[in-house]
Amino acid sequence: MYRLKVLLIKEWRESLRNKMVLFGVIFLPLILVGTSVFMLTTGIAEEDPIAQVVLFNTSLMYFMLLPAIIPLAIAVYSIVGEKEQTTLEPLLATPISDTELFLGKALASVIPAVLVNWISFGLFLGVTRLLVGGFLLQTLTLPWLASIFGLTPLLALFSVGVTMIVSSRASDARAAYQFSSLAILPGLVPLIVYSSMKTIVDMRLILLEAVLLAVAGAVVLYFAIKLFRREQILTRWK
Amino acid sequence: MITATGLTRKFGELTAVDKLDLHIERGEVFGFLGPNGAGKTTTIRMLSALIAPTSGSATIAEKTLGKDNRAIRQRVGVLTETPGLYKRLSAWDNLLFFARLYRIDRPEQQAEKYLKLFELWDRRNGLTGTFSKGMRQKLALARALLHEPEILFLDEPTAGLDPEAAKMVRELIESLRSKERTIFLCTHNLDEADRLCDRIALFKSRLLTVGDPQSLRERMYGRRTVVHLANPDPGIEGHLNLPFITKTEWIDGRLLVSLSDPETENPILVRKLVELGADVQFVSELKVSLEDLYLDLMEGNHVST
Repeated sequence: MYRLKVLLIKEWRESLRNKMVLFGVIFLPLILVGTSVFMLTTGIAEEDPIAQVVLFNTSLMYFMLLPAIIPLAIAVYSIVGEKEQTTLEPLLATPISDTELFLGKALASVIPAVLVNWISFGLFLGVTRLLVGGFLLQTLTLPWLASIFGLTPLLALFSVGVTMIVSSRASDARAAYQFSSLAILPGLVPLIVYSSMKTIVDMRLILLEAVLLAVAGAVVLYFAIKLFRREQILTRWK
Repeated sequence: MITATGLTRKFGELTAVDKLDLHIERGEVFGFLGPNGAGKTTTIRMLSALIAPTSGSATIAEKTLGKDNRAIRQRVGVLTETPGLYKRLSAWDNLLFFARLYRIDRPEQQAEKYLKLFELWDRRNGLTGTFSKGMRQKLALARALLHEPEILFLDEPTAGLDPEAAKMVRELIESLRSKERTIFLCTHNLDEADRLCDRIALFKSRLLTVGDPQSLRERMYGRRTVVHLANPDPGIEGHLNLPFITKTEWIDGRLLVSLSDPETENPILVRKLVELGADVQFVSELKVSLEDLYLDLMEGNHVST
């Protein structure tokens, strides 16, 4: 696990020096938090508490999407970047195992995505409480919290799995980024279910979503790991 | 140190490496020469446990390929065709990252040692994306040496280096040889291979020939003496009648004599020429360049005596 840690630190060090990645990881959540707070405090919502509740719940959905979007930026550059910089071969020539390499690449994307999402969520709640008042936070139900804290790591994992599959086939970062956007789709499903209001959003629904996401994630990760073989990477990642 | 038996690698229908048999001793500098696409990189990748052979077997540093791959990777250093450095990381961070992956005891000390050796210490904090081609190549070499590997696979180590840096790399290879390190050197610089390698192999998907440069020349062309005469007389060769001469020919007014033991046969040859009335100006051995030998072998022109 020592090598996994070494790889993680290297990945994050590189990401911090990549403006595109930084934009995706830091500025995108900040923009979403800012936009959400702006919507809650201006226009129709300024005077209407019901509108504020609706907008607050809409804003919460952003935090279901973010963990699927943020890892794209990191994972695409983490994998395609290796190809573009031709660093794959020297890296694979070290005694690092395939598992360490896969986990290192995957966790380097998942961990910051989930953490940034939770921090953004906390920031959003804090600013909302400060500017609008505490009553909105009382509408925050247990299923919502379970979604944001329980489902989002699964969404991030799914997103990273898709990105790794796409990146292993794509020739450049731009193409990988475009195709990896498909990874956001499962994140949209809970949002459609929540916003349609045709079913009660309770813990059973969240559990069902968690199981479905876990299965989908397992399938995607299975294929990602299958593709993530030293030899495949070296001979096919061109 | 390296033994390969029937090592073969196929990519679909294409056979990149065909039944390669090799034995390389500890402390040997082994040149692996061949044209682009000959399968040299595939061979290095197999021997450094990066890709598996389709068939055949190999032991590298007393470890079995396929069974002890991680141990092999720990014992070998690879300089790839392209430097492959993380351009958003500094030279220092690049080396430390690899030093830690190899689990070196004192990674900082090793990184410092090689940055100083390659005169990159003053630029250690510079991002490698800003480095010149030569600096990147030197840093990649430093990375390959960082964990003090028993075997070094060097793919074009002096490519992109200025003459001074190239000389430094050649001296480094010499010093590594004296430290009993085994070096597997792929190069297109035939003069470099001639100067550095104990043995060379000419390879084009399969092994064409292997041996030390001098014995390869002798095996291919025999030994030939060039005689400069003040008054070249094409008729003189017909009167030489010396049993050790296998062939004579005139090239640019000089007499070319093929024989097997010039150290003892040249004096007899010169005496005979003088007896026949020839004015001998110079006598020398014809040196065939490694380039000629390489080209003849690659084009299938086997010249032998």
